[in-house]
Amino acid sequence: MKNINLLLKIVVWMIACLFLFVQGVAAAEGKPYKRTLETYVVPDVTLLNQDGQEVQLKNYFDTDKPIILDFIYCTCTTICPVLSVSFGYFQKKLGKDLDKVRLVSISIDPDNDTPELMKEHLQKYGAQPGWDAFTGKRGDIVQVLKAFDTYVANKMNHYPLTLLRGPGQKEWVRIYGMLSASDLIAEYEHLQ
Amino acid sequence: MNVRYIGIFLVLFCLSLQSLGAAELIEGYSRAEALRLGERMYRTGVLPSGEPIKALVMGDIPFDGRMFTCDDCHQRSGLGSKEGTVITWPTNGKELFAPRHRTGAYKPPPAGDKKVSGRGELPEYWQMKEVRPAYTDKSLARVLRVGVDPAGRQLDPIMPKFRLNQSDMRILIFYLKNLSVTLSPGVDATTLQFATVITDDVAEVDKTAMLSVLQAHIDAHNSQSRQESKRAASGPFYKSERHQAYRKLKLHVWVLHGPEETWRDQLEGYYKQQPVFALLGGITGGSWEKMHTFSEEHKIPCIFPITDLPVLSDTDWYTLYFSKGLYQEGESVAKYIRAGNKDVNNLPIVQIFQPDNKRSSALAQGFEQAWKKMGNPAVKNIMIQGDASLSDKQWTDLLAGPDPVVVLVWLDGSHQDVFANLPQHGDRVKMMFASATLLKNDYSVIPDSLKNSFLLSYPYTLQDKNNTTRLSVERWLKVRNIPDSNFTIQAKMYFLGWMLPGSIKNMRSEFFRDYFLEGYDMMIDQDYAIAVYPRLTFGPGQRYASKGCYIARLTEGAAAHLVPVSDWVTH
Repeated sequence: MKNINLLLKIVVWMIACLFLFVQGVAAAEGKPYKRTLETYVVPDVTLLNQDGQEVQLKNYFDTDKPIILDFIYCTCTTICPVLSVSFGYFQKKLGKDLDKVRLVSISIDPDNDTPELMKEHLQKYGAQPGWDAFTGKRGDIVQVLKAFDTYVANKMNHYPLTLLRGPGQKEWVRIYGMLSASDLIAEYEHLQ
Repeated sequence: MNVRYIGIFLVLFCLSLQSLGAAELIEGYSRAEALRLGERMYRTGVLPSGEPIKALVMGDIPFDGRMFTCDDCHQRSGLGSKEGTVITWPTNGKELFAPRHRTGAYKPPPAGDKKVSGRGELPEYWQMKEVRPAYTDKSLARVLRVGVDPAGRQLDPIMPKFRLNQSDMRILIFYLKNLSVTLSPGVDATTLQFATVITDDVAEVDKTAMLSVLQAHIDAHNSQSRQESKRAASGPFYKSERHQAYRKLKLHVWVLHGPEETWRDQLEGYYKQQPVFALLGGITGGSWEKMHTFSEEHKIPCIFPITDLPVLSDTDWYTLYFSKGLYQEGESVAKYIRAGNKDVNNLPIVQIFQPDNKRSSALAQGFEQAWKKMGNPAVKNIMIQGDASLSDKQWTDLLAGPDPVVVLVWLDGSHQDVFANLPQHGDRVKMMFASATLLKNDYSVIPDSLKNSFLLSYPYTLQDKNNTTRLSVERWLKVRNIPDSNFTIQAKMYFLGWMLPGSIKNMRSEFFRDYFLEGYDMMIDQDYAIAVYPRLTFGPGQRYASKGCYIARLTEGAAAHLVPVSDWVTH
């Protein structure tokens, strides 16, 4: 009897492990990127937008519009151009709903990325109103990066990250990895 | 007789036909033109027709060549890059058209060379199979269009799928086949040749300061403290590529004499005598323009020359400067006024400068262009010719209008009279700026009554003299018996020498000049080994490593010194 119980326990554990394994695989197969929900405290810093105007980040994020945020730098050669192409195309797809969402790109290379360069960056990717690009003092930018758990000491080690927050929500959807247009649209629609 | 002439004619005719055949045309273009068009596609995303290349990235995001291009990821050299989570493989001819193994570090010798290699190899059953076979024109076109490589693997969707017609595709492939194939000049099996350029207007003490530190670094590299040559001959096979990459460094000193107009010919003469892989350091009292153009036209990297007058360009590639020099000081004053002085922003701004003096003009230009870019009203320029003083009319012009003015005095210490006259107009002047560099850090020209109100642009660190980086450079100099003659110059060259081994190692055995520069592009931002700047930052295509400047004020008392009134100004 003891042996049967032991056997049963082993079988139950094995089934449980198999179930968890299958779940894991399904999750990994379902999305080509990692998606988690996170809570962040937006730091009280003043950044500069693409027109050189000061922006209180907390106030800027205190909005009833959905926010989609990424971290880029103007001379990036690999990840950032694709993130920015994606934002530009997403705005196109929004059509008349353009002003219903705030897209924000924050520089991770503030020494080089002046507001003027950030403006050029937006123009290069066909940005329309509703997509802002922020830079600022190095210390403030580091605070922002740390607050959103994306700080890397060497900017060359940065990784593709997109954060989304729905209207009135406290949690952010954190997406690690590159998104296709349809993935980004699906994630945005999921916020509503 | 006639038959002989006819024979000669026929032979010549055949030979000319043959030579016509040899002049290969690529899609109707000469080789040179096809390479130019291919390079344009690769670097600027523009098709031979002049239209931007169209492509799809991440599977469903359309974009065109104006947004990003091949060389953004694969780099100008074609040797690829690694950024964050994305590894971009080489796309130069010799890598694409050869099989790729799992590791770039170990490439088994060709079958025929096995006996030549004195070292053992992995047994065959341990050797990695090819990850992909060599590309052919056909399979390369396929991967560019649909993202599937010759091994049948689907590439990551971050690699775009390009819409290219047959003709454009052939031109691009022709370009890739010829990209980074032959090693750059200035390198052979044992030695990497470098040169440093010195103009004869530089004081002997400054020349020695620059050269002694640079040569000490070269000597340290050549001392082979890691026994590199021995390891290359007998090291383990899996490290062979790394050890075989070791080269001795040779530094040639190119001194330019006489007027600037003759410098280019002198440079060409030196280069003809000894082609070099790159220029290191160098120093001039004037503009670096002649050397910059020489580097650009010969595609020779020039790393960290010492000059206050670099060439300012968003697109030039081959010279990496410490900063934009005096121009950057002017620019930083504009940024300082915008950032912290809302009450000053709307006041009239007057610049006093000498248009016939390159140093003075660079400051004025830096301020004016930055101020204009910020969308501010035009600046009033008061120009002084030569050593002349400010006329009464110029003083009246300077102070005209109901509002007090902000005065930027971009003059050196020889214009004592202008500085001396300023206190008389103190009530009309809201703020005054000058350049510490232009004044050569000698502030005696500033009247005592204005010493506390003058703000000075200062492009170097303002830390305590006992900061650890400074101490470590001083110690390094002392150990090598190099006298501390001009610490700013020596600290800059110390930094260059400190970075040099990393940028050389980064090339492995791929001695291509573009790849050498890309090593600097990918450097981590530095505040560790640089004693005279708060930090130096790098990035692809960024050619001015120090991006900021302090705005400082003089302290009171006999031993007046500068204290910053701002953070390191970058915006």
